[in-house]
Amino acid sequence: MQERNISAKNFEQCQKCSVCETVCPVMANNPDYPGPKRSGPDGERYRLKNGIFFEDSLKYCLNCKRCEVACPSGVRIADLIQQARIDYGRHTPKLRDTMLASTDQMGPLASTFAPVVNLALGLGPVKGLLDATIGLDHRRTMPKYASKTFVNWFRKHAADKQDAFQRHITYFHGCYANYNYPQLGKDFVTVMNAFGYGVHIMHGERCCGVAKIANGLIPAATRDAAVNMKLFRKSVEEGREIVTVSTTCTLTLLEEYPELLQVDNSDVKSHISLAEQFLYKALESGEIKAVWKEGYKAKAAYHCPCHQKRLGLGILTTELLGMIPGLELTELADSCCGIAGTYGFKKENYKVSQLIGRPLFDSIAAAAPEFVACECETCKWQIEMSTGVPVKNPISILAEALDLEKTAEANRQ
Amino acid sequence: MKFDVVIIGGGLAGMTAASALQGAGFRCAVISEGLSLHNVQAGGFKAAGGTMLAGDRVIGGSFDGDRLKEVSTEKLSGIPIEADNFILATGKYFSKGIVADMDKVYEPLFGLDVDFDPDRSTWFSQSFAAPQRFLQFGVKAEDGRALRGGRQVVNLFPAGEVLAGISGAQGDATESIRRSALDAVSAIRNK
Repeated sequence: MQERNISAKNFEQCQKCSVCETVCPVMANNPDYPGPKRSGPDGERYRLKNGIFFEDSLKYCLNCKRCEVACPSGVRIADLIQQARIDYGRHTPKLRDTMLASTDQMGPLASTFAPVVNLALGLGPVKGLLDATIGLDHRRTMPKYASKTFVNWFRKHAADKQDAFQRHITYFHGCYANYNYPQLGKDFVTVMNAFGYGVHIMHGERCCGVAKIANGLIPAATRDAAVNMKLFRKSVEEGREIVTVSTTCTLTLLEEYPELLQVDNSDVKSHISLAEQFLYKALESGEIKAVWKEGYKAKAAYHCPCHQKRLGLGILTTELLGMIPGLELTELADSCCGIAGTYGFKKENYKVSQLIGRPLFDSIAAAAPEFVACECETCKWQIEMSTGVPVKNPISILAEALDLEKTAEANRQ
Repeated sequence: MKFDVVIIGGGLAGMTAASALQGAGFRCAVISEGLSLHNVQAGGFKAAGGTMLAGDRVIGGSFDGDRLKEVSTEKLSGIPIEADNFILATGKYFSKGIVADMDKVYEPLFGLDVDFDPDRSTWFSQSFAAPQRFLQFGVKAEDGRALRGGRQVVNLFPAGEVLAGISGAQGDATESIRRSALDAVSAIRNK
């Protein structure tokens, strides 16, 4: 909530209590980072006088927004830091940063040559070369690309079945489900169809823009946002709510568009929801019904991603998964996994990234689950690489645990 | 979404009450705008199965006669949180448990009755070290229940600094804050 201030992002509400510093995962692991209070509201007092007070150390902020969750006064600390990087940052993005950020330009390219790309990115000498030339850390397992995108699959196998349903939603699939892990998109369509919703995608959907914002490609991110907003408005006009599966995409569409890109989303904001939120609401109100598979059994541990914490919707995921009779669910240590999107891929951040994730990795080892439940795609990469424990999106868990035929039948009546 | 007890505010009073009630077998949720400064308590509460809604804030509630039926939060839009009992532990001015305007002091969430003097000139003393009267202002309670329009809200128990007469800003009020929280716990357990 915006308080009565003369400046944006509740900057004047900061009381210097320093509670943000106690929750900052970077500050605890990187002595070069002065922390959220100094980088955010404290630094802002100087920057407002003169931009030369901008400090390069702001680049160490991984924008997890834990400081904002902790702030008792509603100061948008991480937004202040990102805004300062946008307004005063002196570095132009490197080739590597542009490559990491341009998920929807690199995606189609990598998907086309997926077998070659995946093979190459797994080879030691290639990784060594990428490390030495552009600064992609060689210890990092690179995400795999799918040779057939979600959109291709959807057009070919699912699109023409969707009009038969009575209720309809628009699916914002994002880059990850499209290029890296189409199975998530397929699971989403399976689950929504079982609940009686026809799924529709938006022709020309762009990346939400989070990676571009993080890497300083602001004009490109703003252009993408404008295209997406036009598509969202059309969807709302057609009476279709917009449903997402990625917590970070959701946070970007809801919060970063107006705060960092100055793209007004107030007319569609209440129509965009995370899949878990959408389904929990519909199940609780009795609008839809779930029939669970008999004999489904699994032991899982839930990792609440940082951006889900900021959205404040983690409770809906645990309540939703709690409805599955055979699922034993524990909650993991409240800790950032350390990858923060493209942050952990960069050579200079690798060490800190792994240090930040340590408490979470230890907590996973102690819980010894069959799999980790988590809504975030980059958390998935980090946890799978660092612990070897598979990570499943809650929507994929639903796809496994639902008796799809009986659920579909229950929702037809 | 329904709990046995919803605690609004995750400070000393809120976490003390929440930990005691969760330990006594009540299903509790704490809604805490900003992080609880009492991390150790929050950890114990969560380990005992309690639910923390951190970084969210209550924006209002709906009443059913003399009962508070449910509260709504900023983040969980359209999903009200019901409970049999509520504890209001939102603190004083800093955390906006009560808010001072030029001519009145009010409780912003439910419009509860606040004990204050309408004559603003009596609120504070010019002497910095003197006892400041505005620090004693707070929500009125009767039999442990908050008053609203002069009537008890039978399932809403204020605890800690939001209450009239309790203030941590001058002197050490830890003991009275803790005691008021435990009083709320007993009132709920003995209902």
